[in-house]
Amino acid sequence: MYFLRKAAIIFNTIKAVAFVTYKEWAAYRSHILVSLFTGPIYFLVQYFIWKAVYSGHEVINGFTFSQILTYFGLATIINYLIMDFADWNLQMLIRTGRFITYILRPLSHRLFAFSQKVGHRVLGFWLEFIPVYLLFFFVFGIRLIPAKPFWFIVSLILSYSIMFFINYCVGMFAFWLTRIFGVMEMFRIMRNLFAGVFIPLSFFPITIQKIFFFLPFQFIVYVPFRVFIGSYELAGITLSIPLVILFQAFMLGAVMLVAEIIWRFGIRRFTGVGA
Amino acid sequence: MKKSPFSFIHVYLISLKNALSERMVYRGDFFISSVIALLFEFVVPMITLLIYSSGSSFPGWTMNEALLIQAIFLLAKGIAFPFFFGIVFNILILIREGSFDILLLKPRSILFLSIATAIDINSMGKLLGGIGFFVFIITRFPSIGPAQWAAFGGLFLLSLSVFFSFALFLSGTLFVWVGNSRMWEIFNTFTLFGMYPQSIYSQPVQILITTAIPVALLASLPASVLLGKEPVYLLPAGIVAGVLLCAGILFWHGMLRRYTSAGG
Repeated sequence: MYFLRKAAIIFNTIKAVAFVTYKEWAAYRSHILVSLFTGPIYFLVQYFIWKAVYSGHEVINGFTFSQILTYFGLATIINYLIMDFADWNLQMLIRTGRFITYILRPLSHRLFAFSQKVGHRVLGFWLEFIPVYLLFFFVFGIRLIPAKPFWFIVSLILSYSIMFFINYCVGMFAFWLTRIFGVMEMFRIMRNLFAGVFIPLSFFPITIQKIFFFLPFQFIVYVPFRVFIGSYELAGITLSIPLVILFQAFMLGAVMLVAEIIWRFGIRRFTGVGA
Repeated sequence: MKKSPFSFIHVYLISLKNALSERMVYRGDFFISSVIALLFEFVVPMITLLIYSSGSSFPGWTMNEALLIQAIFLLAKGIAFPFFFGIVFNILILIREGSFDILLLKPRSILFLSIATAIDINSMGKLLGGIGFFVFIITRFPSIGPAQWAAFGGLFLLSLSVFFSFALFLSGTLFVWVGNSRMWEIFNTFTLFGMYPQSIYSQPVQILITTAIPVALLASLPASVLLGKEPVYLLPAGIVAGVLLCAGILFWHGMLRRYTSAGG
């Protein structure tokens, strides 16, 4: 009973904060709609690059031309679903000292930030995800229908949460450094590179793939893509889809633990003064 | 009163000094940002490297030739971003806060002040990286003659003028599209076309990127000229770059008239 009551409180909190965030960002919907332009154009560039690269080749690093297009199409729309700015928000609150108003509240800031992400991405779902999905489907002929829909949705939820906790950890560096644009940018590039946003991870040399295997980043884009096509392979390691989802869940647990540890050390550094 | 060119240089140098002093307050972040800004630029060359090391290629282009395009792009960006492209971020912030008025009160050209107060010290890393990358790649092509270098020099100036035109269009738009931080995304998406050999695109796209939005001039055409390849649509691209620059200046001033001081 206690747990049910607690779960209801958490659910209501997420709903309330998400709704306010949704309303707030809906005022800037034209900014979000930029994705309708940038997503397809980015995809078009990828189409030409890979069309040239595949001339005379059927398969490169385990990908056919059609699979590589699906990969980039999927990477684009996954990004719309899991996109996150927890790092930026947190560093801004710490830097300006406004974070003090959050630690006075009877609510974990992590839950608050997560709820904000929910609201922001609900807006992104129908302003970015659906239109670009339809564009890919009807204009580019990219049929983004998962091989195993249930596991794909589970994988996406886990990817969504891993992305949030990684970004939140990055944002907490502001407790020490105050201004962390450089650190944020560094993690953004690392995250996108190691997650396979720019190029599938199987294009990297095998030694680097082995390193990627143990990092949390592959679980953001590469794993959801593999779950989407129904087979997982990295660094010569093949795993069944339920097993890779289990690893993804473990990785979520690990990044949550890291977030908790950084929080406990970081919050002691917070002075509330701002800079 | 007409100002001498030296007074403009003086103001610009003072702004450069101020930008550096301001950034030195957060030295740790500055050094990390500079290195990261540079590393980010190497993502596309790294993709090219991975493509070629997997046994594939861009038809008609060796790996070093493809990397030369990206080195030229980084070199041009390394000049544009620290010295004038910061105008986009500057206008974004000033308009959103409603504090652009402060610049309007000052006795200099408003466009000049918007550029001078926007020097992006972090992007100096791009410049150093661009020079280093360009020198590293160009040494792989020892037989480039003076005529090719001269043609390249002219096209490189056009490349910078295209960067400047983009800066004018993007920052001008921000006078009415207040606070839209996704301007870079639009810029990065478009310029991605310019980072690969022009020949990989279909004929209509090649025409589009040379005679409508001349992103091919950013690096692909200068690289073709430098390598002695036959560049296509070179003359129309050059004319369009000039038209784009004039249109950009007119556009920027036209949008300036719509500035309301209200913030956003």
